[in-house]
Amino acid sequence: MLKKTHAPQMIGLVLVIFFALFPFVYSANDYPYIMHIFITGFFYAILASSWSMLAGYAGQFSFGHMGFMGIGAYTAALVSHYFYMSPVPTNFCTEFAIGDSYLIILNPIGVTSSTLAQDCLKQAMEVWNGSVEVTPIPVWLSITLGTLMGGIFGLLVGALVLPLRAAYLALFTLGFSEILRAVISAEIAITRGQAGIELRYMFEDGITLFGRRFEQTDKLPAYFVMFFLLLLCLGILALLARSKFGLFVRALREDQDAAAALGVNTTRYKVMVFVITSMMAAGAGAAMAHYVGIVSPNNIVILQMSLVVAMAVIGGVENFVAAAIGAILLEFMLEMLRSSFVIGPIEVDMTTWRLVVFGVLLMLTLRFSPKGLLMPIIEYFTRGHIAKETVAKRDEPKMGDASRTESSQ
Amino acid sequence: MEFPVIFWGVFAWMISWGVVGSVVTRRVYLNKDLDTSNAGMVGSMLGASTGPVGLILLWIKTPPITSRMMLFPSLAAVGVFMVAFAIADPNNLCVVNGSFVASQISNGLIIGIIYGFMALGLTLIFSILGVVSFAHGEFYMIGGMITYFVTTVWFPGINPMIGIGIACIATFAIGATFERLFLTPMYSGKIGRPVEYGILITFGLAFTLQYFVQALVGANPVKAKRFFDFPRIRLPDAADPWLIKTSRGNLELFDTISISNPRFTAAIMCILVFIALMYFLRRTWTGKALRAVSQDREAAAIAGINPDRMNMLAFALGSMIAALAGAMLVQAFSWLPQVGAIPAMRSFVIVVLGGLGSIPGAFLGGVIVGLVEAAGTGCIPDAQQAASYIPAYGMFVLILTLLLRPTGLLGRRFSSATHGKF
Amino acid sequence: MIELSVSKLNKRFGGLHVLKDVSFDIKGPELIGLIGPNGAGKTTLTNVLDGAIKPNSGTVYLNNQRIDQLEPFQVAKAGLGRTFQVTRSFRRMSVLENLYVPALALGTEHSKAEIHEKSMEVLEFLTMEHLRNEYAQALSGGQQKLLELGRLLMLNPQVIILDEPFAGVHPSLMKIIYSYIERVNDQGTAIILISHQMDSIFSLCHRLLVLNYGDMIADGPPEEIKRDPAVIEAYLGIDEDEEDEKEGQA
Ligand SMILES: Nc1ncnc2c1ncn2[C@@H]1O[C@H](COP(=O)(O)OP(=O)(O)OP(=O)(O)O)[C@@H](O)[C@H]1O
Ligand SMILES: [Mg+2]
Repeated sequence: MLKKTHAPQMIGLVLVIFFALFPFVYSANDYPYIMHIFITGFFYAILASSWSMLAGYAGQFSFGHMGFMGIGAYTAALVSHYFYMSPVPTNFCTEFAIGDSYLIILNPIGVTSSTLAQDCLKQAMEVWNGSVEVTPIPVWLSITLGTLMGGIFGLLVGALVLPLRAAYLALFTLGFSEILRAVISAEIAITRGQAGIELRYMFEDGITLFGRRFEQTDKLPAYFVMFFLLLLCLGILALLARSKFGLFVRALREDQDAAAALGVNTTRYKVMVFVITSMMAAGAGAAMAHYVGIVSPNNIVILQMSLVVAMAVIGGVENFVAAAIGAILLEFMLEMLRSSFVIGPIEVDMTTWRLVVFGVLLMLTLRFSPKGLLMPIIEYFTRGHIAKETVAKRDEPKMGDASRTESSQ
Repeated sequence: MEFPVIFWGVFAWMISWGVVGSVVTRRVYLNKDLDTSNAGMVGSMLGASTGPVGLILLWIKTPPITSRMMLFPSLAAVGVFMVAFAIADPNNLCVVNGSFVASQISNGLIIGIIYGFMALGLTLIFSILGVVSFAHGEFYMIGGMITYFVTTVWFPGINPMIGIGIACIATFAIGATFERLFLTPMYSGKIGRPVEYGILITFGLAFTLQYFVQALVGANPVKAKRFFDFPRIRLPDAADPWLIKTSRGNLELFDTISISNPRFTAAIMCILVFIALMYFLRRTWTGKALRAVSQDREAAAIAGINPDRMNMLAFALGSMIAALAGAMLVQAFSWLPQVGAIPAMRSFVIVVLGGLGSIPGAFLGGVIVGLVEAAGTGCIPDAQQAASYIPAYGMFVLILTLLLRPTGLLGRRFSSATHGKF
Repeated sequence: MIELSVSKLNKRFGGLHVLKDVSFDIKGPELIGLIGPNGAGKTTLTNVLDGAIKPNSGTVYLNNQRIDQLEPFQVAKAGLGRTFQVTRSFRRMSVLENLYVPALALGTEHSKAEIHEKSMEVLEFLTMEHLRNEYAQALSGGQQKLLELGRLLMLNPQVIILDEPFAGVHPSLMKIIYSYIERVNDQGTAIILISHQMDSIFSLCHRLLVLNYGDMIADGPPEEIKRDPAVIEAYLGIDEDEEDEKEGQA
């Protein structure tokens, strides 16, 4: 029988089916645009839900989450931009033999000078004159590497912030993310600075699925990749939240010293939550970079972090599903609000006003519904009956010595 | 850089001995039954500056730690770093050109005073509300914007003081309103985690204000005109002006140090306002009440001060100080809705460096950050690269401070461990 | 066999010497009272034993395992549990979840069902089953104190230190805490009870430790301590007035 407490699961299932079928059912003219919104929505959903694990469950209010996203994106970009595999050595580039083939690392030549003479691979290709096939690093591998790099940095930052709490943690992580952005913008020779670095599309050569051909620009494959990543993240988060990990990080959020006194290795769990959530952010960043085809330091600015924070908070920072759904809804709302309109003589340019609306919504949510807008709905189903139950249980007559002492009061 | 190996080698050497010093010294002091609160800091700085030699001496003698023992090794570490840089890059402008260095330093000092002034607002808010306002940069931006519109767009030719005054009144009102509407639930215990709430809600305010201003005025940079022109001065005389020479927009000292008028006037005004503020805090009843609340809320409440009222005043005043800094600097830089981000982060750095809640610390921190930024921008040869790194210099200082001495230079014991239980 | 042996513990905070060569031994499931004036160093001693604060010198052995340099979570696993003077429940976790934390932290040899069963037993004993799904923040101060005691039971420690469990507690709840202490003690757990309520201490404990500004000035059975001139001067002398006051109120 279906119970009221199962409603959130049912709604979740319906949502998953909806998103899985949507690309096949929907066929309006703005199909690519809507698909793009959803892909971006999934991307933000991964970030918001992993941030909710970090901030909402573990209580680590980090503003460096977009920095980790950037680490994933830039690792993927650098790998796909500079690394190639070739069956024969080029004798121009830095290269290492791996098995029978060679890993080639291109020399960084910056934005301004992309002349042939400076690109070692181009030089080699000229010598080979088409006789050798050079293969780029596969996308799945660069996404994996990006994710791992996110984990490494998560470990580093997690270990450094161990003694810091609250405002200090927020400032430290903000600092981390700003340094990262500065380094990326400054080291133009390698990262191409503000211009951004291009990388291969997720399906550069198109892909054939179930007999249907999808070109590089078709959204459907990327949609399912992102959707799959989101489900993967939510799955991992659900497992974690239900296991002792989830219990321990929440205990850590509530009272670190008490948790330690009860045998919880707080250091380990604090670092672990950083590593796991950073890997999620980095993975999302790497996948998104391969979908968009270019990353730039502007992807790491505070605005982006504010968006993620706002999405998580408006959805409900203490429930990662609420944060994820909140992110998709808000991304949708943000895009829908884009259209400017005219009231009498005044033309309202919504591209900026929508962000004002967003900010006000964030503040009002924090002030009047600190648990977010979606989380209370979920709680209504899962915890709504508890108060009634408590009262009912207290009033029913009881046996036992001690209990009588209390109820007689 | 000519010999990067030297520079990076010395750098790595300093870092590794710093880490060793920090970890081992703390252990040694602990084992010898001594106060360990600053042992890590002294150990790391001594390790970075003198390597194993100083460290071993320290570990053998283990003198009780004084502030001098923190100061001198820190200065020495900075010195070693500078010498390494000079040797590694002998042709760098900031190594060979003395007047360039002097000019950078004096400009760093002047801009540092302004930074410190802005950070003062943040420290004021923190010491009374226990909140780090993430909207500080937006108040700075709004202060500048209002001043620009009043003095340059709406009433050109008006006395700039009026523009600044309007900016102050407006931001004071915004700050007070925001505090009443959004921060009051923090004090009553209605919010589970007030510190995090404070961070998020001011973050939300920052976001809202920034895009609100952008929606109103657009995203194109604007520039206010100079408030005052310097009088024309040639000292000792026009033919041989070696002591001081001014043109309308520039001031030149000893033929070498050149300071731009807007920054100079801004720094002077900052100092004047600072003196006024100090008078307010130390001599007037309200100011004393503010300080009392910052030291002990409960005791102040018993003495008949309404701490909630003081919260409003502190937030409004702190935000107004940021706006004032913006109003004075709008004549020096071009102004955008996004212009607040970097100064805000700089203020965070400064208050953490100086010690959250410490007013002299804010100024000291401001000057240090000003100098570090001047050195950073002056010594990196590629101008574009140097400019891109500007936000990072302060953040390096921040991270170092948080790792070595989380209480800051002159901080009271708001150390990271206790803060958060406010 | 439980054996806690503390020897020559010293702790300084800057210039303040809070623990001076504190030594004592516990053998077997004793019920020991730790008393001393405010600021005597009782909580500090608890923190040092628990690993939250590292001593400047001295050693602590629990069943021949040295625990003074361990982290609090390792100490907890080694078998020493403590409560806090200011109640520290996990406020936004349900009562049951509060109890699960120590049980899961101990290790995974027990299944979830077993842990749940044990938690329910503990709640029943504390007369709080009806609250099991409430958030701890919805509990009254006294109930939160009980919850903290319940968490300790789940940790299954060999030695527990209760830091002022009677502060701010109504006599009816006090009875529950009394029976808790007696039951836990009967089950073979050594208890160090810190309290300023002399009547409770004297009626419960077989042995008292008296801490006076860092010095352990007495260690012995209650009757002896009552007569000890040093103790009377340092502590009991002051406290008798308080007790008179209380009687006057009653
Ligand atoms: N972290 C600390 N830093 C500095 N001093 C401390 C610290 N913790 C405790 N003290 C000091 O150590 C002394 C002993 O404190 P402690 O809390 O152990 O006393 P207590 O015996 O538990 O008192 P009470 O009965 O009031 O709880 C006090 O003077 C206190 O100020
Ligand atoms: Mg105590």
